[in-house]
Amino acid sequence: MEWFNDFWSTYSTLVFTVGVHMLLALSIWLTLSCGLLSLANAAFMGIGAYVSALLTLNAGWAFPTVLLAGGIAPALVALVIGAPVLRLSGVYLAMATLAFGEVVRITVLNLDITGGPEGLNGIPLATEGWHIALLLLLAFYGLARLRRSKVGRAFEAIKEDEIAARLMGINVNRYKLLAFVLGGFIAGIAGALNAHFTFFISPREYGFEPAVDILTMAVLGGTGSLVGPALGAGILTLLPELLRFLHDFRSLVNGAVLVLVVLFLPKGIWEPRRIRAFFRKGGQA
Amino acid sequence: MLEQQLLNALTLGSVYALFALGFTLVFGVLAVINLSHGAVFMVGSYVALALVTQLDAPLWAAMLGAALASGGLGLLVDVLILKPLRVRNAPHLIPMIATIGVAIMVTSSSQGLFGAEIRRFPEETLPAADFMVGAVHVRVLEIAIVAIAFLLMAVLFITLKRTQLGRALRAIAESPKAAYLMGINVEGLFHVTSFVAAALGGIAGVLIGLDFNAITPQMGQPILHKGIAVIILGGMGDIRGALIGGLFLGFAEVISKAYLSSQMGDAVAFGLLFLILLVRPSGLFGRVLERKA
Amino acid sequence: MKLTRTALLLTALFSTVASLPVMAADIKIGVTEALTGGAAQYGVPIRNGFQLAADEINAKGGVNGNKIQLVIEDEQGKKEEGINVFKKLIFQDKVLMIFGPTLSNSMFAAGPVANAAKTVAFGTSNTANGITDIGPYIFRNSVMESDVLPVTVATAVKHYKVKQVAVIYGNDDAFTKSGYDVFKKVLEEQKIPVTTTETYVKGDVDFKAQLTKIKGTNPDAVVCSCLAEEAANIMLQARGLGIKAPFIGGNGFNSPKLFEISKLAGEGTFVGSPWSNANPAPANKNFVAAYQKKYGGEPNQFAAQAYDAMYVAAAALKDVKLSGDLAADREALKNALPKVSIEGATGPFKFRPAKTKDGKPGGWDADQKPFIYQVQGGKFTLYTGK
Repeated sequence: MEWFNDFWSTYSTLVFTVGVHMLLALSIWLTLSCGLLSLANAAFMGIGAYVSALLTLNAGWAFPTVLLAGGIAPALVALVIGAPVLRLSGVYLAMATLAFGEVVRITVLNLDITGGPEGLNGIPLATEGWHIALLLLLAFYGLARLRRSKVGRAFEAIKEDEIAARLMGINVNRYKLLAFVLGGFIAGIAGALNAHFTFFISPREYGFEPAVDILTMAVLGGTGSLVGPALGAGILTLLPELLRFLHDFRSLVNGAVLVLVVLFLPKGIWEPRRIRAFFRKGGQA
Repeated sequence: MLEQQLLNALTLGSVYALFALGFTLVFGVLAVINLSHGAVFMVGSYVALALVTQLDAPLWAAMLGAALASGGLGLLVDVLILKPLRVRNAPHLIPMIATIGVAIMVTSSSQGLFGAEIRRFPEETLPAADFMVGAVHVRVLEIAIVAIAFLLMAVLFITLKRTQLGRALRAIAESPKAAYLMGINVEGLFHVTSFVAAALGGIAGVLIGLDFNAITPQMGQPILHKGIAVIILGGMGDIRGALIGGLFLGFAEVISKAYLSSQMGDAVAFGLLFLILLVRPSGLFGRVLERKA
Repeated sequence: MKLTRTALLLTALFSTVASLPVMAADIKIGVTEALTGGAAQYGVPIRNGFQLAADEINAKGGVNGNKIQLVIEDEQGKKEEGINVFKKLIFQDKVLMIFGPTLSNSMFAAGPVANAAKTVAFGTSNTANGITDIGPYIFRNSVMESDVLPVTVATAVKHYKVKQVAVIYGNDDAFTKSGYDVFKKVLEEQKIPVTTTETYVKGDVDFKAQLTKIKGTNPDAVVCSCLAEEAANIMLQARGLGIKAPFIGGNGFNSPKLFEISKLAGEGTFVGSPWSNANPAPANKNFVAAYQKKYGGEPNQFAAQAYDAMYVAAAALKDVKLSGDLAADREALKNALPKVSIEGATGPFKFRPAKTKDGKPGGWDADQKPFIYQVQGGKFTLYTGK
C-alpha cells in the first residue's frame, strides 16, 4: 500500500483530471451521436464551474446540491439557446457554438461577481475520487442505456440522414434539443467537479482551445462507441505527462499524434472491429 | 475624431480581410476549415524577420521569401495530410482536426526554434513615415496594408471570374466530382490553392508583423478567431466576402470601442457573429453554399 | 508502524551525523515555471535567473558545503499542470521547497497543495492580491502594485503638474487588471480626475480605436496597466496618432523590451519598480553582466527577482541545519525564510507578514521600497526630483 499512497499523493489530481475529461468527452459524444457538431461544451463546463463555485463560496450549499446546480444551470442555458442554434447544421453550427462560447467567456470576464480576469480563488477542496468515479459510472450506464433505447435509435437515424428521419415521423428538433441539453448538463457537472479540486477557476479555461480539446478527445478515441471518447480523454490527458522529458518540444509530439491518428486511424483509436481483426491476423501469423 | 476612428476601422478591417483571404479561399475550393492558417501566418512573419535581420534582405525580398515559405508549408500540409483524407473521403470534421494538429506542431516548433519572446522588425526596415490629412494622422504603412488588401482581393477576384484557372476553381467549388469528369486536374488545383492561400497568409503575417510590432509564436491564434468570424460574416468561401466581412468586423469593433466601451469590442464581434448566424446562416453577404462531403 | 520506522531512521541518521564528518549532500529545490505556451516569455527568463544564481552559489561551494540541485518542471501556465507539477515535486522528487509558478492563476491553484503539504512555495512573479492569503507556507518576493503605484503616481503628478489622466489597461489578464484596480484606488485617493478608461484584451495588437478616444479627452498623462510589449505598442501607436502626453506605467513596464520595441516613443514615462537594469548597486551590476554573459541577452525584472529569490533561499538555508528528515527540514526552512534580509539585484530586500482578509495566518510578502524611474533617451534613469 505504501507505493499506492506515494502514487496517489503525486498523481491524484492527474487521475481526477482524466475523469473530468472523460465526462467532457462523453458530453460531446452525445451531441455528435445525434449528428451535431457543437463546440459549446467548454462554455457549458465554465457555466457549471462558476455557478457551483459561487454557490459554494457565497451560499455555502452542500456539495451534492452544488454539483446538481452546476449541471442544471448550463442545461437551462442550452435549453434557451438550443431552439434557434440547432437550426444550423455542420460547420455553421460549430461556428455559432464557438461564438456562443466566446460570448460566455467575455461576459464572465466583465462581471464583478465572477472576479473578472482574476477568476475565483480559494474554492475549498470538495471533490473526492469516488465522486468522479461514481458520476462517470452513472454517465456510462445512462448513456449506454440511452443508446439502446428509442431515443438512441432516433439519434442514430438523425445522424445518418436527417431528412429521412423526419419523414419517418421522428421529431428531429426535439431530439436534437435533448442531446444538446443533456450534453450541457454533463459538461456542467464536469466543470463543477473540476472547480472543486483545483482551488481556482478563471475565464481563460473555458475558451476556444478547451472547446477544441474536448472535441479532439472524442474524435481521437473514436465516436463509434462510448469507450472511444473516454479512451481519447485518457490518452490526451496523460500523453503530455508522459512526454515531460521532451521539454520545449512536448506539444510538438501532441500535435503529431493528433495528425497521425487522424491519418491512419480514421475511426479513432477504439474501433472494435479493427482491433478484433488485428488480433485474428496476429493469431494466424 | 470620427475621421480618425474611420481610418482606424479601415486599417483594422483590411488586416482582418488580408488574413481571411487565404482562409476563405481554402474553404471555398477544398471545403476545409483550415485551422492551421494562423500558424502559417505566423511562419510568414518569422521567415521575413529572419531574412531581414540575418541576411539584410530588402523588405520586398523578405516578403517574397515569406510567401514562398508559407506557401510551401501550405502545400506540404495539403500533400501530406489533406490529400490522403480526400482520397479516403473523410467527413469534413476530420481535416479540420488534422489542421489543429498541424497548428500545434508548427507553433511549438517555432517556439523551440525562435524562443517565446516578442520580436519586431528592425526600425529601419520601414521608415515610420506619417502625415496629416486635416486632423487625421495617417501612416504610410496603414495605407499600404489597405491598398495591398484591396489589390490582392481584386487580383484573386478577377482570376476567379475571368481566367480559365478561375473557372476551373469555381467548378471545383461547385462539385469536385463534376469538375474531375470535365477533365479538370482537380488534385493539381487543390495543391495550387493550398499554396496560394498559405502564401497570402504569409504576406499577411509580414504586413501585420510590421504594423503591430508583435511577432510571437502565438500571434496566429487571436487573429484566427477573428478570421473565423470574418469568413462567416462575409459568407464562407466567398472572396469578396472576406473583404466585406473583414471591413464589417473592423468597423463594428472600432465603433463599439469608440462609442460604447472598449470592453465591448470582442463581445460585439462575437455576439454579432452569433446573432447573424441565427438569422442568416449563410453569412451577411454570402450565398448559401452547401456541398455534401 | 510508521512512528517506529521514523524513529529508527532518525536514530540511524543521528548516529551517522555523530560519527562522521558532515557529508555534503545536494539540496533539491523545485522550480516550476511556464516554459512552453504563452506565459513562457516570463517563465523562461525566470528559470534563467534561478539557474544563474544556483550556478553562482554552487561555484562558490554551495550552502554550508551542500550543492543546490534544481529540479525544473514546466507548468505551461495551466492550473492543472501547476498542481500536477507541485505534487510531483513535493511527493515524488521530495524537494525541500518550490519556486514558482509563473502566473498568479497557477499559484492560486497550486499554492494550496504546497501549503497543505507544509512545503514552502516561493513565487517570484505573482503580484495578484490574495496570493499570500493561501497560507503560511506561501512566500513571494514580487512586489505588489499597491506598494509601488502610489509613489509612482504622486511623483509623476508632481513632475508634470498633472490635472487629469486617461487610463488604459488589459482587462482579461489578472496581472494588468489587478494593477488597474490599484491605479484606480490610488487616483481616487490622490483626487486626480480620470477622463476616460479604456481596455484591451490579450493578443490585441491594434489599440488605435482606444487611443483615438483618449486623445479626444486631452489628458495630461496616460496611466497604463499593461505588460511591456503591449505598452510599447500602445506608446508607438499613441505617438502615431499625435498623443503627446507622457505615460505612467505599472510593474509590467519594467523590461528592456519596452525600448527594444518602442524606441523613443516612451520618453518621459514614469515607472516604479523594485528593479531596473539602471540600478547602479554592485549586486545588480554583477547580475546584469553575468546574465548577459550566460544567456546573451538583457535580463528583465522577472529574471532579477528569480535571481534574488534564489539568494534569499540560500541565505535562509545557511541557518537551517539539514537533518535529513524532509518534513522537519521543510518546516525549518519555512521558519528561517522570514528572517532573511539581503542586498540583491533588486536592492535591499526583506519579508513582511501578509495581511489576510479573514485574519488567518497568511504567508509572506515582499517588503521593498520601489525606485522611481523616468525614461530618458530610451533608458530608465533614476528620478532625482528635478
